[in-house]
Amino acid sequence: MAANPELREQLEHAIAGNKVLLLMKGTPEMPRCGFSMRTVGMLEQMGVEYGAIDVLPMLQPLREVTTEIADWQTFPQLYVDGELLGGCDIVEEMYESGELADALGVEQPEGEPDVGVPQPSGAPTQSPPLQIET
Amino acid sequence: MAADLAELERMIAEALPGAEVEVVDEGGGDHLRAIVTAPQFEGLSRIDQHRLVKAAVRERMDDGTIHALSITASVPG
Repeated sequence: MAANPELREQLEHAIAGNKVLLLMKGTPEMPRCGFSMRTVGMLEQMGVEYGAIDVLPMLQPLREVTTEIADWQTFPQLYVDGELLGGCDIVEEMYESGELADALGVEQPEGEPDVGVPQPSGAPTQSPPLQIET
Repeated sequence: MAADLAELERMIAEALPGAEVEVVDEGGGDHLRAIVTAPQFEGLSRIDQHRLVKAAVRERMDDGTIHALSITASVPG
């Protein structure tokens, strides 16, 4: 089934408009999935501003869009500079190897990733939630 | 229904001839990790390596047998 073209356009717009964009289950303040929570924790550790979109209200339509644009079906998904970097496990490997810091253009932070409840250090740049016509 | 780990290993091995594949249960029978060493990964980005593994088991992702699949991908050598 083809993805909803309007939703695809909205998502592409959000990806283009945010240097770092996380598609996640829940919000950075209240993640609804352990993998999303870990990914938020790593972004917070990096101290970068990022946009976040909660995929749960439109999980299946968004899955169809990300299948089309990035050949990826699971969430979270971290987009940097318009490209899908990966899900939680790829981001973790890249965090540990220093590649994530390189991709984000920041210094590698000291210590281990904070995989507990994220404590947002600043106010992340939150994208307006995507809307779809029903 | 818990995933059939041996079936998943076979699906990945068939998609990536010459690969060493191990699938382990990380909890509850539907949170799995695939540890794959494959010559086909040479020169690919991590995300493309993962795409190859996920494509091999897509049927089991789509039917809900696997809720989450973590992947550890490496190139032999």
